Amino acid sequence: MTTLVKVTELEKVYQTGEIKFQALRGISLEIQAGDFVAIMGESGSGKSTLLHVIGGLDQPTSGSVWMAGQQLDKMNETELARFRRSEIGFVFQFFNLIENLTVRANVELPALLEDQLKKKEIRRRSEELLERLGISDQANKHPWELSGGQQQRVAIARAFINFPTLLLADEPTGNLDTSSGDEVLDILKDFNQGGQTTLMVTHAASAAKLANYVLFIRDGLIVDRMPGGNEKAIARRLIDLRQRGS
Amino acid sequence: MSAVWKKIVADLFHRRWITFLVTCTVIVSAALLTLALSTLLNLSGPYDKLFDELNSAHLWLHFKPYRVSSMDIRRIEALPGVVDSTDVQYSYFSQVTISNETRAWVDLRVIPLEPPNVHSLKVIAGRYLLPGKDEILIEKYAADTYHVAVGDMIEVTREDNTKAALPVIGIAYDPMYDTYRSNQLPSLFVSQDTFRSQFPDQDTWVWSVGLRLADPEAVDEVLDEIESMRSSEFVDTHTDWRDAKESAVFSVQLTFAFLSAFSIFAIFATILIVVSVVSSMVLSQIRQIGILKAIGFTGNQVSLLYVGQYAIISLVGAGLGFILGLILAPLPLQTITASLGTTYYPPFSFLLMGLVFLIIPGTNILAAWAAARRGAKANVIRSIATGAESPLQKPFWGTRFIEYLGAPMTIVMGFNDTFAKPIRAILTGLNLTLGVIGIVFGLTLSGTLQTYRENPALLGIVYDAFVTRQDSSDGRAQRILSQAPGVQAFYGEYRLRVKTLDGEEFLLRAVEGELSAFPFYIPEGRFFYLDTNEAIVGRGLLDWLDLEIGDSLTLTLAENDRRTETWTIVGVYPEPADAGQRMIVPLSSVLALDRHAASESYYLKVDQNVDLLKLRKYIEPDKDTDLTLTLVEEAIPSSVIFLQLAIFMLGGILVAIAVVNVFIMSLLSTQEKIRVVGILKTIGMIPFQVVVMIITSAGVLGMLAVLIGIPAGLLLTRVLLTTLSNAFGFGLVSVSVNVLVIIFLIPIIISISLLGSLIPARWASRISIVRVLRQE
Ligand SMILES: Nc1ncnc2c1ncn2[C@@H]1O[C@H](COP(=O)(O)OP(=O)(O)O)[C@@H](O)[C@H]1O
Ligand SMILES: [Mg+2]
Repeated sequence: MTTLVKVTELEKVYQTGEIKFQALRGISLEIQAGDFVAIMGESGSGKSTLLHVIGGLDQPTSGSVWMAGQQLDKMNETELARFRRSEIGFVFQFFNLIENLTVRANVELPALLEDQLKKKEIRRRSEELLERLGISDQANKHPWELSGGQQQRVAIARAFINFPTLLLADEPTGNLDTSSGDEVLDILKDFNQGGQTTLMVTHAASAAKLANYVLFIRDGLIVDRMPGGNEKAIARRLIDLRQRGS
Repeated sequence: MSAVWKKIVADLFHRRWITFLVTCTVIVSAALLTLALSTLLNLSGPYDKLFDELNSAHLWLHFKPYRVSSMDIRRIEALPGVVDSTDVQYSYFSQVTISNETRAWVDLRVIPLEPPNVHSLKVIAGRYLLPGKDEILIEKYAADTYHVAVGDMIEVTREDNTKAALPVIGIAYDPMYDTYRSNQLPSLFVSQDTFRSQFPDQDTWVWSVGLRLADPEAVDEVLDEIESMRSSEFVDTHTDWRDAKESAVFSVQLTFAFLSAFSIFAIFATILIVVSVVSSMVLSQIRQIGILKAIGFTGNQVSLLYVGQYAIISLVGAGLGFILGLILAPLPLQTITASLGTTYYPPFSFLLMGLVFLIIPGTNILAAWAAARRGAKANVIRSIATGAESPLQKPFWGTRFIEYLGAPMTIVMGFNDTFAKPIRAILTGLNLTLGVIGIVFGLTLSGTLQTYRENPALLGIVYDAFVTRQDSSDGRAQRILSQAPGVQAFYGEYRLRVKTLDGEEFLLRAVEGELSAFPFYIPEGRFFYLDTNEAIVGRGLLDWLDLEIGDSLTLTLAENDRRTETWTIVGVYPEPADAGQRMIVPLSSVLALDRHAASESYYLKVDQNVDLLKLRKYIEPDKDTDLTLTLVEEAIPSSVIFLQLAIFMLGGILVAIAVVNVFIMSLLSTQEKIRVVGILKTIGMIPFQVVVMIITSAGVLGMLAVLIGIPAGLLLTRVLLTTLSNAFGFGLVSVSVNVLVIIFLIPIIISISLLGSLIPARWASRISIVRVLRQE
């Protein structure tokens, strides 16, 4: 197994005016290629922040992020953007689709930002993804015409268009009903089984059980770690941690 | 209520930049409006002020020689409508030589040594006449025409043809000198003693008197009364103060016309900005409006929110603009005050203030209200849920086209943004287009002026110099000219006043000689054939008498209508004088009207490198010669140059306003799109691509603006110049334009609009993705 992501002593301090807030307090972790990692923790514990820093959306205050042989915390804005475009796929709780573009345009967008890629090739790939996600009949609609589950599938298709090295999902089912959420999770698991390295933030033990292992975060620190698979065990550990914290 | 007020203040400060920029445009438009209105309200202010100061006469009567007695003057002064008079003033039409070279006919007039009670003169250079000295005070217009300065010598020809040289000791303005009608001779003023010593024979003196009237508007009635006092005509000519005033005010009217155009443009631009800014603000805050309504704001309160903001902005802007306008108000009147040798500050007027405060905030508030109603009507749930209104379903065909052409995604998206909000794009585009129109207008005018300057024939000036004769015969004059060194060709002209059978009088120019050597410009019809009764006319004459090419016109002499003669109009020429109300015919054809018709002035075409000194020496060998040579100089009136400057200024201001508008538009649409930009950056759009995407929208607008603005500007220039030249009776104008300069305008305007959106674009490229994504 090869190490794909290596995070060391990551700290992140938010400053709002005079007030400083330390969201990450020295997180170190490694993700191997092909892993499916879930991150759990209470609201405000720093899960999204960690995801953002790993995905190159934000820079850490200290510590380093290595991914696929590149050091993210040394990159400038443009390099980071190129890196996100080619190496990372994002899926968010609130789909974050672009309203005035069609489903197909939304999916193809990251590939189209790359001037070198051939339009035909991009089209072929987007059709394949839409087909695989079961929304090829929605290709010419706009996002607001779709259900939440369908919108999230569009977002997933968009995340995969550039064959990302790492998929980052921040509570992908948080805004969906149970059955749509399950469908989305099935899709993620399916891709992971095809070799897609995935890091997913979630509240739900039912989602986390799909992961190879689960990381628990509290107050900006990784406080625990356990294998996935057993939903009940994960839920119990979560309650344990909450009680220990208070 | 106080909740609304709090929100208004918060919004104004939250968007300080936009508040500031919109206020600036409001200030500019209010200042321009103030300037235009103040000029309109005070057009005749400087003249009236001076007229009062000098207690000028409302009516001047110039009597025919030998026909008037002191008794008549007494009776005139005793008329009920007459309140005061200058007493009889004597004058003599004399030929003078100015500074040893220019010869001219002037009206040499006696003025009292003490500035009189009625109709004193305004000395604007040098001093007034002193007792016991033989000296000349020259009227300003005469001084300007003949380039006379204080200290120059003027040689006066006496009755017996001997000469006396007198020094010019001052230049004075006479409010009754009518600069427009050329039948008045330029005036020189001397003391009674000087006059008597030069022209001792009292019988040759011309009498005139200036009257102040009880009712200044009753000039015609008083004149009728005076003329009916005697059975025979004894008043030769008269001057009406209203005519003199009109001429003095004319140049300011042009200024006014352009200032009005300025302010209308500016008001229009302000409305455009307000409408686009307000509607964008409403759109970008629609979610907020939904929340406001959810917490209990009524639709009216939401409207009030925006109306209130713009009421504050426009009141502040109108106030500052009004003050700025008042400070600048004396400037447009400068041309007139300078020519009157006086200063004038337009007085503060409540009417003016009322108008400015009605028009500027009025239009602004109306625009804000209309836009805000849309926001107020928005459905609460929908606006909270989806934010802005649902965008266009189908992408604009142009977007699909450039996508098909293979343009990069960023450019396609920027292009699409332009048309996603068509109303706002149209408003901003219009604003830019106005700027382009203004600049094209200025450039075209400048090109046209250049053409006219290079080819004065287009202005009806086909000659290089002219010669006038007095005592010499026509034959002698022609003989001299045909042998004069450097003269290529010449034609002679005899002028006579004629009238139509309806009694309309105008000046006829009867010409003979080598006419074909002169490049007469005939925009319509053709030149006449010699030895026929054909005529070419000024456009003004056709309009005035309601004639067309091909019509015939029967005329008699103005003074003597016993004989008539008929001409056929075959063409139109540009006639610069008398509002184009003149006519040129072959000299041979007027002999039937006037047996003594013979050329009195001669128009010369001279070699390019003619020795002017030699030519002058040949035509005017000594001081006693009665032939005078005058060279043609400046042909373009200075008011046109001013106008051109004014238009460039207007274009500049409009472009500046347009840039502000592009800036505001980009800023707002970027703010609206901030989420989209965040998402795009998340999925890998690099900062450079963000900048390209946002400035593409502005670039598209700039491109559309030049595409529409350049032809529209050219068209406007053509229409306006044609209208103006028709109004002045000048006939067709040929509008020329420097194509290279216009082409150069295209990249400039596009860059300018790109520049306007650069700051918002850079700002967007730097926004923190995480912060945007969190704003959920
Ligand atoms: N831009 C920011 N400025 C200040 N504090 C922030 C900012 N972003 C996040 N935080 C704070 O950092 C903490 C962690 O946030 P986040 O990573 O979003 O938590 P989670 O995703 O686990 O709920 C929270 O307390 C949050 O309030
Ligand atoms: Mg989170």
